Amino acid sequence: MATTAEGFDAHHEDHAHDHADHKPGFFARWFMSTNHKDIGTLYLIFAIIAGIVGGAISGAMRVELAQPGLQYLGTFVDMLGGDGTSFDQQGHMWNVLITAHGLIMVFFMVMPAMIGGFGNWFVPLMIGAPDMAFPRMNNISFWLTVAGFCSLLFSMFVPGGTGMGAGVGWTVYAPLSTSGSVGPAVDFAIFALHLAGAGSILGATNFITTIFNMRAPGMTLHKMPLFVWSVLVTAFLLLLALPVLAAAITMLLTDRNFGTTFFDPAGGGDPVLYQHLFWFFGHPEVYIMILPGFGMISQIVATFSKKPVFGYLGMAYAMVAIGVVGFIVWAHHMYTVGLDVNTKMYFTAATMVIAVPTGIKIFSWIATMWGGSIEFKSPMVWAMGFIFLFTVGGVTGVVLANGGIDDNLHDTYYVVAHFHYVLSLGAVTSMFAGWYYWFPKMFGRWHSEFLAHLHFWVFFVGVNVIFFPMHFLGLQGMARRYPDYTPAFAYWNEIATIGYMIMAVSIVIFFVNILYAIFFGKKPEANYWGEGATTLEWSLSSPPPFHQFETLPVIEEHHSADDHISPKPANA
Amino acid sequence: MATITLEDRNKRTMLFGFGMALAMLGMGYAAVPLYNLFCRVTGFGGTTQVASESDAALAEQFAASAGGVSYSIRFDANTARNMPWEFKPVQVTDTVAIGQRDMAFYTARNNSDAPITGTATFNVEPEQAGRYFNKIQCFCFTEQTLQPGEEIRMPVLYYVDPAALDDPNMKGVEQITLSYTFHRADQDPS
Amino acid sequence: MESIETMNFGAFARKKLNFLALFVLAALSLGALPYGAMAQEGAADPDAVAVEESAAEAPAFDYYGPEMIKGQPVGAEEDFVESMTFQPQFTDNGDYALWMHDAILMPIITVISLFVLGLLLWVVVRYNKRSNKVASRTSHNTLIEVIWTVIPVLILVVIAVPSITLLARQYQSPPEDALTIKANGYQWYWGYEYVDNGGFEVVSNMLSEEAALDAGEPHQLAVDNRMVVPVGVPIRIQTFGADVIHSFGIPSLWFKLDAVPGRINEKMLTITEPGIYYGQCMELCGARHGYMPIAIEARPLDEFNAWVQSQPGGMTRAQIEAQNAAPAVQDAESAEDAAEAGDTEAVEEAEAAEAAAEAA
Repeated sequence: MATTAEGFDAHHEDHAHDHADHKPGFFARWFMSTNHKDIGTLYLIFAIIAGIVGGAISGAMRVELAQPGLQYLGTFVDMLGGDGTSFDQQGHMWNVLITAHGLIMVFFMVMPAMIGGFGNWFVPLMIGAPDMAFPRMNNISFWLTVAGFCSLLFSMFVPGGTGMGAGVGWTVYAPLSTSGSVGPAVDFAIFALHLAGAGSILGATNFITTIFNMRAPGMTLHKMPLFVWSVLVTAFLLLLALPVLAAAITMLLTDRNFGTTFFDPAGGGDPVLYQHLFWFFGHPEVYIMILPGFGMISQIVATFSKKPVFGYLGMAYAMVAIGVVGFIVWAHHMYTVGLDVNTKMYFTAATMVIAVPTGIKIFSWIATMWGGSIEFKSPMVWAMGFIFLFTVGGVTGVVLANGGIDDNLHDTYYVVAHFHYVLSLGAVTSMFAGWYYWFPKMFGRWHSEFLAHLHFWVFFVGVNVIFFPMHFLGLQGMARRYPDYTPAFAYWNEIATIGYMIMAVSIVIFFVNILYAIFFGKKPEANYWGEGATTLEWSLSSPPPFHQFETLPVIEEHHSADDHISPKPANA
Repeated sequence: MATITLEDRNKRTMLFGFGMALAMLGMGYAAVPLYNLFCRVTGFGGTTQVASESDAALAEQFAASAGGVSYSIRFDANTARNMPWEFKPVQVTDTVAIGQRDMAFYTARNNSDAPITGTATFNVEPEQAGRYFNKIQCFCFTEQTLQPGEEIRMPVLYYVDPAALDDPNMKGVEQITLSYTFHRADQDPS
Repeated sequence: MESIETMNFGAFARKKLNFLALFVLAALSLGALPYGAMAQEGAADPDAVAVEESAAEAPAFDYYGPEMIKGQPVGAEEDFVESMTFQPQFTDNGDYALWMHDAILMPIITVISLFVLGLLLWVVVRYNKRSNKVASRTSHNTLIEVIWTVIPVLILVVIAVPSITLLARQYQSPPEDALTIKANGYQWYWGYEYVDNGGFEVVSNMLSEEAALDAGEPHQLAVDNRMVVPVGVPIRIQTFGADVIHSFGIPSLWFKLDAVPGRINEKMLTITEPGIYYGQCMELCGARHGYMPIAIEARPLDEFNAWVQSQPGGMTRAQIEAQNAAPAVQDAESAEDAAEAGDTEAVEEAEAAEAAAEAA
């Protein structure tokens, strides 16, 4: 294996070289990679590609919804080789779009970018480890995710019932996904989840092992950077939640193909059980998508305020609390399925409890800034945008937590607005914050700070114009997953589509900024953010050497959780 | 750290991780029988109870002290979409004294030109009544086969457990709906 | 694909085939109905001959026109402020929930969001690099940490009290005499089964855009046959999914209940005003999920009874009671009936049950 006890110098043995910057050839480096930074880069590139696909699909949905009636679905059906004039195939096409958008964004964009990309890149760097514990397993995780993505894309080109592709929603509820969808499309979509899930479980184990066993000497758990804490909690959530999804969708698969009746009432099964299993996974899953973002925001806010994180332990254990409570609130996604009153009261109360640790985090970030000497570099602006947008998404969550209120809002655009505020505006904003925070560190080139700021403001305006009107639509009763609507909903839908176009411009700016970095980017120094940046990755060059920490850094007694790289004070 | 190598520690942690994942996978599958059991024990989701004759006799004795409380029982019948049976209760509602056994009848007729075997699922509403609704005999315990055009009457022998009177959740419940849905047992995904 | 849909519908149609004769009879007698009678399938009790006669005498029923539409979304062009809020509510629980949202939740979440925004802006102004050259090193303050833990807890308690109250109200059990109507979800239309009124089922399909505009109703929401219900009396709504999961949701009545295959769900609904209330299927159910709207027409009880009598096999509850009073069906008799029908299995079971009853 790649690591040995005597030293973290296994790569030397593997490659019989001792130069820290020796890199293998192109194919070996990028296709058989065992280097955590290269795999992190692969994950980021993959997430960007998946994001383009998922974003394009949401664009297709927004143009269709721009006005009442069906305008473009027939064209999309024709593009996939179906009959564009068939009403059922158009409706099915819509369901395929919403399904693909959801699955791609959750499993192939946010998760790979957050955990695979930033996690792989910075967990070893921040804990002072030369690499992940199991570099080859790391590689398998990545390629399993890619294979899953291919399986999902492939599912769009095979029959799935009333048309091509899997039109069952990202929740894949039975019996629509079993007896309701004939054809192999749903099987391929389920298989995609299996592959991505297996990759994530391997990755989670890898992170847990790395964080538990490979921290630099002196770095206790309570001296770990909060980003590492967030990935640790996320890894445990993955490990506990994903197998339940795997079990549930495997049962779907056997129900579909091998005559079992886990969720089929005809054989004594219960379709509601599938929902329980799915949401037992699904609710922790939303925290899986946001916790690493919390970690990144903590690093960024502390860096640019030039202050230690306020209430470090409270921040770390708030994430643990969110993770734990996240496992006992699942049925708030199923308020209308026919739960009895006591169950609904319990889930209402339990769900609202999550607001407390979340509030602690929001206020601790603000307290970190309080008294600081804040520099508004682009990552900080993104982070502050995150804090506000996440708050807005969070408070609508408190509204939806009430089982009685949810009776009206369940499966309306209010819910769509809520989870896009916490994910599309929350998680994605935190990823862009992390991107600009670490971009020069990862790639050794400066992006344009001007473009990064511009990107933020255009994105901020765009996503708010898309998603804020969806609250109104939801309150007025517009149902989710509808390709068409009554003319009363037209106005706010049109506004939302305009917002999408603004947001799309911001994505163009994002890519221009990458091109800028490639062609004009200056070389950054090791610690380009200056005195506020105190975690171990800033002690390395930008980009870091191919193999780092051949001599392990030592976290001494006087180092705190917020300060791993300061020299020893003279009087100590 | 002194005696075990990092590699061994890593392997241990990895096995611990995989163990956890496997345990959760097992939990996922175990959820099927456990959920079933949970519903049957607690009446969750309006799952009815199965009672023996002696349970019923005992309940009747208890009921004697309850003082003539009665419930209205509604009988509901549904068929799955691919089930060509006409299935309905003989009586839409009935009133039964608590603890008292009562028998209700449903009729089913096979409207297709082929023999069809059906199996029934069931629940009661409101859901909190599930744990007090006891069936001594029910056509839903076994599969039923009907020849083309054949019509049968099917009995349900049931009682409402007097323990319902002590449950605050049952306050205000005046009518309990017993619902059945017939599905094709010879499920053919055609 | 296409064939599945037709197959399912075919099976459904076959199921109803033996009522064809009755259906034709009823349809003929109801030829005077303004619209939609032909599309209805009467699943009436075949024993009840008297019903057919009463149906034959039934007068045509005058449905509400678009001026009675009360529960529908409002466009921003029509009323900008209204288009950003909940629809007006026409149930007591809806009023309570709306009050809870407007008077408790909205102020709280608005204040919290503005408070966080204000803090952020203050931090930007006061603690930027130019205003505050030297950063403090404060990273702990037990008092403030306790405060921002306890105050959210208190806020949540303030929310929890009406929230639990609302749930308790929504789960009040319907009284014994509540009128029971079943909402059956099919791919892709609703069937409303009036089990207390002779068991007929009203099949409700979406109107085409042209037909809806002709009727003066909003398209995507208008249907051919509305679910007619009495106003002011408790209704026991029971939902059932015949194929996949659907959800019966009406925003202006604060009502949403999934229709799940293999089981029924139940909830009480009491509408306070006569009118038309639109809703939609709220759970993804396949290709035409967006095309199976719900339209409820709430009428005063006497008009509702008149409507019931205009339906094939429809009887008011008074009529049914009168009919039942004559020949009371006994359990023992039914066993004999079964024996006559030559159904040994049922007889055995019934007799065993009887023996058991005697033994006790």
